[in-house]
Amino acid sequence: MSKNVLIIVFTEMRDKLRKWREDNHRNSEQIVDVGEELINEHASKLGDDIWIIYEQVMIAALDCSRDDLAWTCLQELKRQFPGSQRVKRLAGMRLEALEKYEDASKQYDSILQDDPTNTAARKRKISILKAQGKSAEAIRELNEYLEQFVGDQEAWHELSELYINEHDYGKAAFCLEELMMTNPHNHLYCEQYAEVKYTQGGLENLELSRKYFAQALKLNNRNMRALFGLYMSASHIAASPKVNATVKKANVKYATWATNQINRAYQVSYARCLL
Amino acid sequence: MDEPELLLDSNIRLWVVLPIVFITFLVGVIRHYVSILLQSDKKLTLEQVSDSQVLIRSRILRENGKYIPKQSFLMRKFYFNNQEDGFLKNTKRKVVPPSPMTDPSMLTDMMKGNVTNVLPMILIGGWINWTFSGFVTTKVPFPLTLRFKPMLQQGIELLSLDASWVSSASWYFLNVFGLRSMYSLILGQDNGADQSRIMQEQMSGAAMAMPADTNKAFKAEWEALELTDHQWALEGVEEELMSRELDLDGMFSQ
Repeated sequence: MSKNVLIIVFTEMRDKLRKWREDNHRNSEQIVDVGEELINEHASKLGDDIWIIYEQVMIAALDCSRDDLAWTCLQELKRQFPGSQRVKRLAGMRLEALEKYEDASKQYDSILQDDPTNTAARKRKISILKAQGKSAEAIRELNEYLEQFVGDQEAWHELSELYINEHDYGKAAFCLEELMMTNPHNHLYCEQYAEVKYTQGGLENLELSRKYFAQALKLNNRNMRALFGLYMSASHIAASPKVNATVKKANVKYATWATNQINRAYQVSYARCLL
Repeated sequence: MDEPELLLDSNIRLWVVLPIVFITFLVGVIRHYVSILLQSDKKLTLEQVSDSQVLIRSRILRENGKYIPKQSFLMRKFYFNNQEDGFLKNTKRKVVPPSPMTDPSMLTDMMKGNVTNVLPMILIGGWINWTFSGFVTTKVPFPLTLRFKPMLQQGIELLSLDASWVSSASWYFLNVFGLRSMYSLILGQDNGADQSRIMQEQMSGAAMAMPADTNKAFKAEWEALELTDHQWALEGVEEELMSRELDLDGMFSQ
């Protein structure tokens, strides 16, 4: 797979790295392959781009356990930007990758002493707790972080994931609501919220989940998961003994509609396979 | 009666009008880079960052609250606006108006602002006046009253000359204000050569968000949130969705 990526032309490699950087891809093995070659062969042609490429390649190298490459990148960055907090954070990440959590924590504390508003260092400390498996503490720290920085969407999403792992669906739903408000057109948040509500169970939550599955479908007609979710929640409500006749009829209608759409989707995919 | 039209030596155009444009432009560019060099780090406190984010969250709640269930919206509104312990109602920040006397960094900022902007303008204006003096540079396209004569015709001692004919110093000042849009084209927005913006900032007092604003901002948000109602956007979503078939184009493409 990585052989496909070994592009010979220098500009193509640099542009690929930039695209991965901007889209926040986490294809670390590819980044390490392309980046290592770029750094070793074409360092002089890169100019000032090289520093951000060092950062990108270093993080990818940590993902692939390439400590040698990570160390080289870190040394270059330290030499160019001594005393930079961004570089200190990278040094802390390397310590984390080596499982030296105490040292990493001290590193982040020193960043926070200089600049209490630095969000990156705080978030790294929370991920140390997560890596050590201390999810209760991680949740508590993340809550404190979010009290200070209410607008950090990445953090809200992380918190919702932690809560889902702890099966605390009510609080996970709260976090997802924050995300839905800040990103009203993102169908994935609607769908995740609907799934959490469905898991919580109970007639009211099922109705909510059906509505949010429908909203996710409205935002993106091709979200199959939402379509199945719509079918399941509608049929669950229809099958429940506590509903009256009108509600039952409406939900049966929704479920049938969903079934038809699912059949259509399968036909489309079958037609594609034949081509 | 038609005023006698003056015919200016075309050397004036070559050696006066154009050089002044160049000088003004280059001075502006230099000012921009100097201001970047002299920029002091504006350190924000944790509280300021936190407050600004809270205000953003409250605004988002007002604008997009219709996408979350009614119960959740009311819960958040209660958290912000509750009589006893609502956040917006009860959080008072210490108000320290940033006057130049109490805050030394503000003083240096103001000084730097003055040095980079006002001083060069005065110096170069005076130099141009001295160098390019004694002749008429250009004519403004609209008629002016006689009151403007001493201001705009600084070196020219002609009583009968129309006030529309101006000297080089006024051409310089025209350039300073006219090239503003050129600066934003070339240096990008928010550039240090934009004089009028800097003068506006100096007049309003502080360059950063004033602490007194936080309390007022909280009060304004509280009022706005009190007025907001929850109109659930998902009322008829199933009907809307099922009114037509799903658009499955491009679903299974490679």
